[in-house]
Amino acid sequence: MAHRWKCATEDLLFVKTPKLGHICQMYALLLIPFLAFVVIFAAGKRANAWAGWLAMAATLAGLVFSMGLYTEFDGQPTGETFTWLNIQNTAFNFTFQLDKLAFLMLFVVHLVALLVQVFSMNYMAHDAYRWRYFAFLQLFIFSMLGVVLAADLLLMYVFWELVGLSSYLLIGFWYAKPRAAWAAQKAFLLNRVGDAGFLMGILLLLANGQSTHFESLSIGLPLPSTAVGLLLFCGVVGKSAQWPLSTWLPDAMEGPTPVSALIHAATMVAAGIFLLARIHFLLTPQALLVVAGIGTITMLLGAYQAVFQNDIKKMLAYSTVSQLGLMVLAMGIGAREASLFHLLTHAFFKAGLFLSAGAIIHHLHTQDVRQMGGLRTKLPVVFVAYTTCAAALAGVPFFSGFLSKDSILLEATAWASARGGMAYVVPVLALLSAAITAFYVARQWRLIFLETFRGADMPQKLSIPSDWFTNIPLIVLAALSVFGWISVNPFDAADSWFFQLFPTLGHSVSHLLVVGASVLATFTGLVLGYQTAHRTFTPYLFEIKWLNEFSEQQPSAFLIPIFQKMARSLAYFDRWVLDVTVNGIGYVSVIGAHVLARFEHLLIDGSINALAWTVRQVGNRARNLQNGQIQSYFVVMLVGVILMIFWFLG
Amino acid sequence: MLNYILSSLVFLPLLGAVVILLIPSSQRHFYKSITLLFCAVELALCGWLYAHFSTANAAYQFLEKIDWITIPLGSLGTVSIDYLLGVDGISLPLVFLTGVVMLVGAVSSWHINKREKAYFALYLLLTSSVMGCFVALDFFLFFLFFEFMLLPMYFLIGLWGGPRREYASLKFFLYTLAGSVLILVVMIALYLSAVDPFESEATQTLVHTFDLRYLADGHNYLPDSILSPTGEIEIWGISSRMLAFWLLFIGFAIKLPIVPLHTWLPDAHVEAPTPVSVVLAGVLLKIGGYGLLRIAYPLFPDAANEYAFSLGVLGVLSIVYGGFNALAQNDLKKMVAYSSVSHMGFVLLGVASLTAEGVNGAVYQMVSHGILSALLFLVVGVLYDRTHNRLIDSYRGLVSPMPQLTVVVSVAFFASLGLPGFSGFVGELFTLMGGFQSDRLPHWLVAIGTLGIVLAAGYFLWTLQRLFFGPFWAKNANDAALLTDLTLREKMMLLPLVMLTLLLGLFPNLVFNLTNQAVTLWMKIFL
Repeated sequence: MAHRWKCATEDLLFVKTPKLGHICQMYALLLIPFLAFVVIFAAGKRANAWAGWLAMAATLAGLVFSMGLYTEFDGQPTGETFTWLNIQNTAFNFTFQLDKLAFLMLFVVHLVALLVQVFSMNYMAHDAYRWRYFAFLQLFIFSMLGVVLAADLLLMYVFWELVGLSSYLLIGFWYAKPRAAWAAQKAFLLNRVGDAGFLMGILLLLANGQSTHFESLSIGLPLPSTAVGLLLFCGVVGKSAQWPLSTWLPDAMEGPTPVSALIHAATMVAAGIFLLARIHFLLTPQALLVVAGIGTITMLLGAYQAVFQNDIKKMLAYSTVSQLGLMVLAMGIGAREASLFHLLTHAFFKAGLFLSAGAIIHHLHTQDVRQMGGLRTKLPVVFVAYTTCAAALAGVPFFSGFLSKDSILLEATAWASARGGMAYVVPVLALLSAAITAFYVARQWRLIFLETFRGADMPQKLSIPSDWFTNIPLIVLAALSVFGWISVNPFDAADSWFFQLFPTLGHSVSHLLVVGASVLATFTGLVLGYQTAHRTFTPYLFEIKWLNEFSEQQPSAFLIPIFQKMARSLAYFDRWVLDVTVNGIGYVSVIGAHVLARFEHLLIDGSINALAWTVRQVGNRARNLQNGQIQSYFVVMLVGVILMIFWFLG
Repeated sequence: MLNYILSSLVFLPLLGAVVILLIPSSQRHFYKSITLLFCAVELALCGWLYAHFSTANAAYQFLEKIDWITIPLGSLGTVSIDYLLGVDGISLPLVFLTGVVMLVGAVSSWHINKREKAYFALYLLLTSSVMGCFVALDFFLFFLFFEFMLLPMYFLIGLWGGPRREYASLKFFLYTLAGSVLILVVMIALYLSAVDPFESEATQTLVHTFDLRYLADGHNYLPDSILSPTGEIEIWGISSRMLAFWLLFIGFAIKLPIVPLHTWLPDAHVEAPTPVSVVLAGVLLKIGGYGLLRIAYPLFPDAANEYAFSLGVLGVLSIVYGGFNALAQNDLKKMVAYSSVSHMGFVLLGVASLTAEGVNGAVYQMVSHGILSALLFLVVGVLYDRTHNRLIDSYRGLVSPMPQLTVVVSVAFFASLGLPGFSGFVGELFTLMGGFQSDRLPHWLVAIGTLGIVLAAGYFLWTLQRLFFGPFWAKNANDAALLTDLTLREKMMLLPLVMLTLLLGLFPNLVFNLTNQAVTLWMKIFL
């Protein structure tokens, strides 16, 4: 389906030369948020009054621009290349490009970012540092758009890292909380582990003489090796919180909740899926199998862990991990388009869930679902929004999540039937995960909204119907979680605009069977979850302990302990082995010098060599540490040099 | 004067030192301004040099040659030592770096109030000898400057340093001296082996030379001499040329420094006053890398080729070992010192790869690290000036009293850990790229080196988190009042460095345009 471009030479010549206006608008997409960041950050505290308005205006402009560009888009990618640097005769070119995939992400990123910033107007209204908040959000949007528009891996890596930076800054936004600072560091560090692999993959591609440009890569067959593909996939494992690097995402919930909605649910973590969509054609069948395996593990672990969460945000975070696992799994079985489809629907319903959670936290000042209850009547708008989005997450028919999950299940079944036997494990596990998802969604929904309030003190004014900054984003995101805007048929998205834009091959699996199984799994999960909502389960979490140790009393445990242990032992080696050896050589030389001094008169005059000079000087220096002697030594040294030259010559 | 631009660069600071020595101590308030003035003029000269340097030309430019010492020795030939200066694309970025770092160091010397006359005279003397190292093209002259550097450094650490300054300065001195002796041995052997082809023909005698341009050409070696490329002379069973290469390598590796020859560095840094640390990390370490590029490699390309793998291993060892050690430090200055070890490992990895990317990247990494390490030591100095305590666990949440410092430190840390947009990224990217492209280094080795970027993120972010985030707390209650934000002078020395690392990170061609041709020529000897 990808457009194969013909390249006349090694240099990249776009078949379609973009119009000047397009180029300007494409750069404008990047420039607007960047300038907004610079202006707000430079203004500092003074920007508190207008930072939010400027940020919203900037993102709205970006949304309008990208929609404007889309109306002129004819399906052919357009791009613009510039030279970053030259090494010898090799030019390192960077290309920004607009294609279907980029437009999809432009739409998602801008829309969610806009809604999140609208929501933040009230949510952050009383924070003294909201200028910094909006500045960092703009920095994030800039970096994310860079990832989206980048047409080669190296350029994408540049923005990839900047996305990591903005995530770090926003998770640690309340840096006075030690846990927030720790979580920010952990997120960056675990991402760095993945990124090191990603970078290695890029460098290996280059070392094999291949371009890093997506389009020329797609021409430049043969495929790179499985190892290179898997190294590139490491970037996805970090950024999209796949097992075993997934633990940073739940901790990232220390950041402000709208940030969690934008970055750690809808967009940044989806960057990994986006990268997979870009490099899908590079992955060998073996590599894809590993991708599918990692995705499956992540999907199940995330769903399983979400069951035991009583923190409203943590549950959503584990749910995000699980859904990202599903998308990676879909990529692994070759369902690239279905995975992107789920990315789209997930971005909206999960952002809606997080913003609803944010509204609840904002009012109740607690994140513990056991302290909630009865909010159905107190926060009606939130109730409706949350219910809609939760239904989409659980995969209830008539909601967007059902359609996208169904597409993936369908593809998974088709994939399994083509392979037979053990391959059926994949769709079955996906169904199981869907059932668990429905289970924890129903449990949480009941605990938050039904029955009566269980908290200690109920705030007086809970419902503020005129709070449009809060309500509008919730309503929009809830509306986007319903099936209608995607597909007319609530049970099958095959004819939707999405699959017309991203066409897939047909498959010969009984759709009815898959829909039936999916609905059955969902409703079983919902009913069980609802029934057992108040029961406490003994959680057994498959967490990697040394990745999660955090103690506020013990600042030394802030870092990943295994790194620390290694570092300590090497430092010990440095101090007590290497340095002691060096000093030991010094002492031995001093003793040797004394011995030599005794026998000096026995030595023949002409046999003084460089070594003896040095050793003797070592002795002299050690005997008397006064500074004055160094000059005389220096003169002796120079004289020695000259003498030795003549000695050698003579 | 502009015909003698390189001589001016070398001797102008020396003139400044003389001026300072002549001004009576009663006028001591002039010393700082005079030093600053001379360093500023020095940087201006570097700027002129940069503007007039021809990037298309791979050869040495601005050559100055004066016959310095000529001693006829009858049948043994003639001793010829030249005063020979010149720059090419490899040395020019480092000359420019020296100009920048020395100026910033002069600004950061403002708080020196003990024996100013000696301090500033020595500081300018140091500037002279460092400049001399980067522009000398005669091995003998280079060695003189190389040795001469030790003298001011020894005193600057030994007299103005911290509590253990005498130990540290002596250790620094002896370590470097041990390296120098090895270099000296090779220098003499080289001298005996190579002749100046043109002079020899003109005078019909053997004119022995130290001219690095001639030494880098195998044809100029006498056929049966000790270091002849065609000869088979062995010493203790090792080919004499291989041995000579390793002696040179150790000499320069001590300076670079390369694990396990690095143990002088943390001590020297910890005890040195801030400006001296800045100069030490910013410029002096680069002489080690420069020595490899200018002397060890071109003179012994056969050995460099043969031992590429071992050299790469040493580079990667430095990256990883330095990174882990930085992670374990509680003294902020030691942390930065070990991060230097790690970052300079990338230089060796890039050089060892013997690829265009790797070698260009190595020069770039030296420039980048020069700027970044100067920045890092300056911010450590900001903290130390206020409380005289650099221990990381003595503070928490410094962001509240010092928000501006926090911003600068964050920028410095992220730039150092290789965030794209800053210079550190480009240096690491291209040295690693060179490593992967090299057919002399296995991929797994470079892959281990790539883990260095994870370690860098670890030690910088962990430090950032422990020092600056969380609620404000200081071990000594008195410190709270002392922790004030950046002063105007501090901003003036920090901001240019921040701008420079950003500028080089966004427009790496500013460096690569200089290095490309020279490195292309340099690479030819390895083909």
